[in-house]
Amino acid sequence: MTAAAPEPKANMGQPVPRYDAAAKVTGRATYASDMPLDNPAYAFLVTSAIAKGRIDSFDLDDARSVRGVIDIVTHENAPKLKESKLFSNGGYAGTTIQPLKSVDIAHDGQIIAVVIAESYEAAREAANRVKVSYTAVAPSASFDSPGTTAAAAKGQNAQFKEDAEVGDFARAFDAAEVKLTASYDTPAQHHNPMELFTTSCAWMGDNLVIYEGSQYVYGLKNGVAEQLGIDADKVRVVNPYVGGGFGSRGSMTPRTAIIAGIAKRLNRPIKLVPTRDQGFTIATYRAETRHEIRLGAGRDGRLVALRHDGAEVSSRPDAYCVGGTKTTTRLYACPNVASLVSIVRADRNTPGFMRSPPEVPYLFALESAMDELAVKLNMDPVELRRINDTNVEPIGGKPYTSRSLMACFDEAAKAFGWSQRSPQPKSVSDGDWLIGYGCAATCYPTQMAPSAARVRLQRDGRTRVEIAGHEIGTGAYTVIAQTAAERLGVPLEKVAVFVGDSDLPPAPVAGGSNSTASTCSAVMMVCDQIRQRLFKAVMPSDSLADKAKETVGISQAPSTQAAKSDRPLDIEKAFDALGVGIVEEYGEWKPEGAPLDSFMAMHSGHARLVGGHQMKDKIAYAFGAEFVEVRVNRFTHEIRAPRLVGAFAAGRIMNPRTARSQLMGGLIWGMSSALLEATEIDQRNARYVNDNLADYLVPVNADVPGVEVILLSEQDDHINPAGVKGLGELANVGTNAAICNAIYHATGQRIRKLPVRLENIEA
Amino acid sequence: MSEKSGSGPSGFDRRAFMAGAAGSALVPMAARAAAQDANVSAASDPALPVDVTLRVNGKDKRLHIDARTTVLDALREHLKLTGSKKGCDHGQCGACTVLIDDRRVVSCLTLALAAEGQEITTIEGLATDDHLHPMQQAFVDNDAFQCGYCTPGQIMSAVACVKEGHAGSEADIREYMSGNICRCAAYPNIVAAVKQAAPEIMKG
Repeated sequence: MTAAAPEPKANMGQPVPRYDAAAKVTGRATYASDMPLDNPAYAFLVTSAIAKGRIDSFDLDDARSVRGVIDIVTHENAPKLKESKLFSNGGYAGTTIQPLKSVDIAHDGQIIAVVIAESYEAAREAANRVKVSYTAVAPSASFDSPGTTAAAAKGQNAQFKEDAEVGDFARAFDAAEVKLTASYDTPAQHHNPMELFTTSCAWMGDNLVIYEGSQYVYGLKNGVAEQLGIDADKVRVVNPYVGGGFGSRGSMTPRTAIIAGIAKRLNRPIKLVPTRDQGFTIATYRAETRHEIRLGAGRDGRLVALRHDGAEVSSRPDAYCVGGTKTTTRLYACPNVASLVSIVRADRNTPGFMRSPPEVPYLFALESAMDELAVKLNMDPVELRRINDTNVEPIGGKPYTSRSLMACFDEAAKAFGWSQRSPQPKSVSDGDWLIGYGCAATCYPTQMAPSAARVRLQRDGRTRVEIAGHEIGTGAYTVIAQTAAERLGVPLEKVAVFVGDSDLPPAPVAGGSNSTASTCSAVMMVCDQIRQRLFKAVMPSDSLADKAKETVGISQAPSTQAAKSDRPLDIEKAFDALGVGIVEEYGEWKPEGAPLDSFMAMHSGHARLVGGHQMKDKIAYAFGAEFVEVRVNRFTHEIRAPRLVGAFAAGRIMNPRTARSQLMGGLIWGMSSALLEATEIDQRNARYVNDNLADYLVPVNADVPGVEVILLSEQDDHINPAGVKGLGELANVGTNAAICNAIYHATGQRIRKLPVRLENIEA
Repeated sequence: MSEKSGSGPSGFDRRAFMAGAAGSALVPMAARAAAQDANVSAASDPALPVDVTLRVNGKDKRLHIDARTTVLDALREHLKLTGSKKGCDHGQCGACTVLIDDRRVVSCLTLALAAEGQEITTIEGLATDDHLHPMQQAFVDNDAFQCGYCTPGQIMSAVACVKEGHAGSEADIREYMSGNICRCAAYPNIVAAVKQAAPEIMKG
């Protein structure tokens, strides 16, 4: 076993190489903009240079004079599109700001024109020659800008149902022996997946094919159909590979229906490749947040009072929020809890989910505060977590289905060498470098959604699995193939997997870390349907058992029992008994507690995720612990993070290789969020300043010297048939706080605002 | 279709084009003004297609393309070699990295006309007879990618990194592979892959 392919522990699958590895290393993996089109025209976007106001006029003469220009589409001649509601209000859209509809400008970088030309080069040149006259109004950029409005999230965001509370926070906080009040800030961040936000649209008669990197092909298909006013069955979204998502491709953006509408009118395929900077404003992002945490504890470290107030920025029309108090109020035992989430509206594009949307900002606040409390108590921060560990969440009193938080802390602490740490800040150095150790808890809700699958088995063992899942780098192909191979007892190399196509059976959005749990549960179920048919062929006593079942309602048929067990199956014998060439089954799986309409919703592109704290009698989360070494140069204040160590428990690990890679990437994302990433906002113009990959800092290889991922064995039989908790968003949650806690240990300076850069280190 | 079969001289004066417009290709308006001053007929309207022959993965490819076309867009849009990826079009991310005369270059900042007469190697040209190149195999073995979008650029860069003699230590590999962004952050696995493939590539 190599580092990349860890030895599986109990309840882990084999660390087989990725199903799509050969395609990805040879350039044969086809992403949306790689798809061949027949004689395409090229689109180039023109975006608004003001954040608020109106377009007075366009001067298009110069642009039209460019050789090869076919058309320039503005609000005056744009295809008429129907509105789509925000996904959280029952629609499909990530924003209700619909460009090309009127002269109004709602945010900087809003699409205001689309140039169509014979070549990419001509479209780009003409777009640069479009002249626009605006009447600008001073915009509100962010928190503290004049003209923003603030209100509680509850009541304006349908998905934010409660400000969690229990007991009497005010009285308990007043009476607490040890108190902490602290405020924390997180910045706006952009996903910046490597693949640009490209869209190609091709019509064949009344049927539309969309090639676009999407984390939800069923949502996009239904959303575009709604906007175009056509039957969803006439729209097909295809993306066998997606060049990174991180949440940016989970909901529909306005560009898709616009391009589809223009392609229809032109009667020609259109290919849009937006620029990197346009991606900052034509899609979503993680909005900036502010937090106030109040903790009250006894001298023994037991929490007696916890209050978390969070504020988040959203756009004028859309009340998007992540509301991470649902997690921070339930993580530790505490009898008196209060919380409040509010939304501040500014003249910005609508934010959206970005990897671990609620947990990244909200746990940064809580896990920093826990470290501050440990300092006040003169207590080891690991021990503070241990004292407040709980198997029952305090708000609803529901038990965790499984919780390996402290096991993760102990494993990671051991691997990291935490016991060697001297608790005194600024006590360790190496030449010019101050060294600090820090840690934090990490967690993410276990979520699932209804999913369908189709599986076809041939006599020779060749298997085809069809499911409209999404390969965004998570290893979807691989774990689906492993699930089918294992369940049917066929060799892995005989399994072919098809995902990323809305003509396949529906799978949920690849978001909320639900994909593996949902798709693999569906594939398992459908494989069991096949096993049942085959067992039935070779177990003739079924008819008697069926009869018994019908008459007295007892006992499953032997074939059903055998199908649901791990009993090996002689496929050839069963096929011969059946006398068929192919056995194919389709099935729809839904998680326990899914709403009644969830299968209908699944087909119409609405993923009904259940899990986390919203389960009926239980609460399900994956947990982990992260330890970080930072080095701060005492003269230049340069900050490095040479060691990141994380231990994680997330139920069944389908493939330790892909799981480790995802968690490793998550830890690096967390480091990046703590030390590098921020979208800088021009406060006067409500404009993103660093909208490119040179100025929006993401880690490069030299930033990442040492990452260690420890996978803990954990079995949870109370979540879903696959036993999977999901881990794509688990690792980048705790890192922010762990790094700030380590910086405190290195320097004695507590930093409560991300990202931490050298100019933020005082001395 | 802009790709043409057959071979022969392009008939386009690259020197004149370079003087007139190529350096300003990312600023079309400046390019236009400069070209008019120079009174170079082909460059007076950069949208007028020009003939160019690119040698890609050992084969000559004749193209009739907009003079401002980059190597990346020539590969992707005109030669249907979509392995090289567009991640920024500004030379900031490295996803478009190809080898030109064995040097790694960002093909999004290289005009197709400027690459005429040089040997372009793309990800599609690395594997031979269905055998993966040692670097490709090392990327598979070490799970050195997730979404895979940056991978062709990483691999081309990694091959050059080894041949440049910059794969002697992990620290060197990290430094000399830092022109290629991997947003999934497979970095430690990329370092492991380069380390694994380096001896085999140097051997032969």
